[in-house]
Amino acid sequence: MNNRLKVLRAERDWSQADLAEQLGVSRQTVNALETGRYDPSLPLAFKIARVFGQPIEAIFTED
Amino acid sequence: MNASLESPRPSLLRKAALFVLLAALGGAFGFGFATLTDGVLTRWEDELAVVMAAATIGIGVITAFVVATRPSQVPRGCGVLQVVVMLLAGTLFLLPVFGSAWATPEVVFGAVLLLLAVQSGANLMLWRNADEMLRRVMLETSALAFWAVQLSLFIYAAAERLGLIGTISGWGLMGVLMGVYFIASIVAGARRGLS
Repeated sequence: MNNRLKVLRAERDWSQADLAEQLGVSRQTVNALETGRYDPSLPLAFKIARVFGQPIEAIFTED
Repeated sequence: MNASLESPRPSLLRKAALFVLLAALGGAFGFGFATLTDGVLTRWEDELAVVMAAATIGIGVITAFVVATRPSQVPRGCGVLQVVVMLLAGTLFLLPVFGSAWATPEVVFGAVLLLLAVQSGANLMLWRNADEMLRRVMLETSALAFWAVQLSLFIYAAAERLGLIGTISGWGLMGVLMGVYFIASIVAGARRGLS
């Protein structure tokens, strides 16, 4: 699965640690999400969508 | 807030440098270990246990350093719990080997049970506090280790039953299991970019 996390985060001038804190996960988890090493659960995907104020399908896309 | 687009993957040169550094550290550790334990440890099972103890305590110390220098509020308490779990695991491997020099086997065994209970509690807390990716890594480590150990144990048990190889003690098997678990955790962690 592809995602736009890195771009969305950069647009808001957030560090990985900043985003991690808002999501309640570790910085390593944010890094793994951005590099495509880990696909989030549905609850975490909804949380990410809420944090960025965008629908899930605008952030995550299929390969 | 500071934007940081961290490099997603280390370069080949960085990986090679890390490999050389780890190889050098491994060599130095091996030489030091062989020198220090020459004549002290007579059974390979105890040597393996001490290696496992050194590895777990080493990881615990490194984790403690990371927790101290790069503190993180989320997931709450996980860093400290990981340090506690690793240090206790190392101690648990050392006690049966060296404990009888200071106390009776019964007292040492009691201490092992006590520490094991504390370590199990810390492990449980770590699971409950971990975020979903850390839990996934734990699950994948367990599954991978179980598969590898079950396969190896069957091959060994069949060969032992047929009289092709000698019997390995339970202590030796425990050391092997821990070694397999270590490798499994490295593989599972590396797949998620944890290092």
